[in-house]
Amino acid sequence: MTAVILDGIVLGLQFGLLAVGLTLVYGLGGVLNLAYGQMAVAAAIVVALAMDAGLSAGVAVGVGLLAGGLFGLLLDATLLRPVYRLRGEAQILLSLLLTLGVAFIVDGLLTWQLPLEALTLNIGGGAVEIFGVPMRRGSLWASGITVAAFVALFFFFRSTMLGRAVRSIIQDEEGARLVGIDPNRMRTMILVSSGVLAALVAVTRSMSIPVTVTSGISFTIFALIVTVVGGLGSVAGAFFAGLLLGIINTISSFYIGTFLTLIILLSAAALTILIRPSGLLGVAE
Amino acid sequence: MLEIKAFSAGYQGNDVVHDVSFHVETGEAVMIIGSNGSGKTTLFRAMCGLLGASSGEVLFNRDDLAGMPAQRIVRLGMGFVPAERHLFPRMTVQEHLSLGAYPKRPDPETMSIVLDLFPRLAERRRQRAGTMSGGEQQMLAVGRALMSRPRLLVLDEPTTGLAPKLAVEAYEALGVLRDQGLTLLVAEQQVPLAMAFSDRGYVLENGQIQIQGTSEELAKNPEVRRAYLGVM
Ligand SMILES: Nc1ncnc2c1ncn2[C@@H]1O[C@H](COP(=O)(O)OP(=O)(O)OP(=O)(O)O)[C@@H](O)[C@H]1O
Ligand SMILES: [Mg+2]
Repeated sequence: MTAVILDGIVLGLQFGLLAVGLTLVYGLGGVLNLAYGQMAVAAAIVVALAMDAGLSAGVAVGVGLLAGGLFGLLLDATLLRPVYRLRGEAQILLSLLLTLGVAFIVDGLLTWQLPLEALTLNIGGGAVEIFGVPMRRGSLWASGITVAAFVALFFFFRSTMLGRAVRSIIQDEEGARLVGIDPNRMRTMILVSSGVLAALVAVTRSMSIPVTVTSGISFTIFALIVTVVGGLGSVAGAFFAGLLLGIINTISSFYIGTFLTLIILLSAAALTILIRPSGLLGVAE
Repeated sequence: MLEIKAFSAGYQGNDVVHDVSFHVETGEAVMIIGSNGSGKTTLFRAMCGLLGASSGEVLFNRDDLAGMPAQRIVRLGMGFVPAERHLFPRMTVQEHLSLGAYPKRPDPETMSIVLDLFPRLAERRRQRAGTMSGGEQQMLAVGRALMSRPRLLVLDEPTTGLAPKLAVEAYEALGVLRDQGLTLLVAEQQVPLAMAFSDRGYVLENGQIQIQGTSEELAKNPEVRRAYLGVM
């Protein structure tokens, strides 16, 4: 049981970080990015190709993070421009349609051109014992990186001027403009960061299991579920919801089965909407 | 300091403010009065870059603000406090005041001016805006706008949602700012309060300026007395 829970924590941290990229983009720009998983996969494939080309893993990961950021920048500068100008239902719907289109295009291109490409980062060395459970080094690296990313994010949003500016747009865009904040520049920055986060999670996932060209949809679904449970626009919510759902996921896969697990997670999201529409922590931010 | 020339604005191609011209000189307190729906909010929002204007000029010192987005106008020194305040509900008083100075670090001197003006904000630095009373929120909205050290502060109905006693206090605070030399422009429906506070005023009806003059002149004007001061 301890082993299952520890695995759940490892997975949950990554779920949470993955969701941060989705939830911030939603909170800031009203964009529900259905191509989010494909951003992660595209970045992972860039890393794999860079390594195939002979770059060291470290450099290749750097290139992949850059590619993720570039993907975000591109989306922001092109397709999302008309979305930002809309409000309400029209905004959500247009963002869903456009990003779904991007998801199909990326999926299609990858399965057509690079059907067998996948990213697996092997972290060498034997298992390390934690609470008497042997843990793979890959999982520990992944968790360490993810926790570090969360610490950086919390620091950014609590203690920096720029982080506060981003939160202010989520809470009241007009108020933010009235103190001199340019929402478009902040959105661009957050879109780029979300691309980098997606890439980072793809990289840490590949330390445990291969990230293949068809992994995109499951990345998006997990991010979406965690976002709903954690509350739209909330970094802390994503963190706790990620942990909770990660643990539920591994327990359920272990004792019940993988197929039912996804249904259980989706039910958790549906229940959250019914009982606490604003998410686990009760506030969206 | 501010000169508006032949300014028109509205929604979806329908102007509700027509060909409005007025000016505010440095050090003045100017009011714009007018009944519900006369176009005060539309005029201010368009002037401050929150709404597109259809024609006209907005000269602020040496800059033409027409077509500029609100975030740039604020940085040029024209602060705006909207009637709905637009505070950040889950941020503390302290966070509002530091964001007010964005993109700079909050200046301690300005901070102490604001906290001296509104001691209640000093007592409640850690309270979140969403849990504050209407009067406190109004103080915070003004305080946040002051943190950018504006040269002109524009306020849309600062007494919205305030009990009579608080409305009087709000104008007392604005009077202190006026006496410190800040230039102010307010839109107001509580005409007696605004009249006692301002040097000059304009009457906006159906999106057009109908009457203008010093506050004393307006106070004596029979039309103004009948329509806005409740004198038969
Ligand atoms: N978002 C909007 N879309 C369309 N018409 C609007 C909008 N906002 C205001 N109007 C219209 O513009 C006119 C002027 O409204 P405005 O809010 O500027 O008046 P106001 O003088 O500020 O009134 P009040 O004193 O009640 O605040 C009104 O006829 C109103 O119906
Ligand atoms: Mg109004």
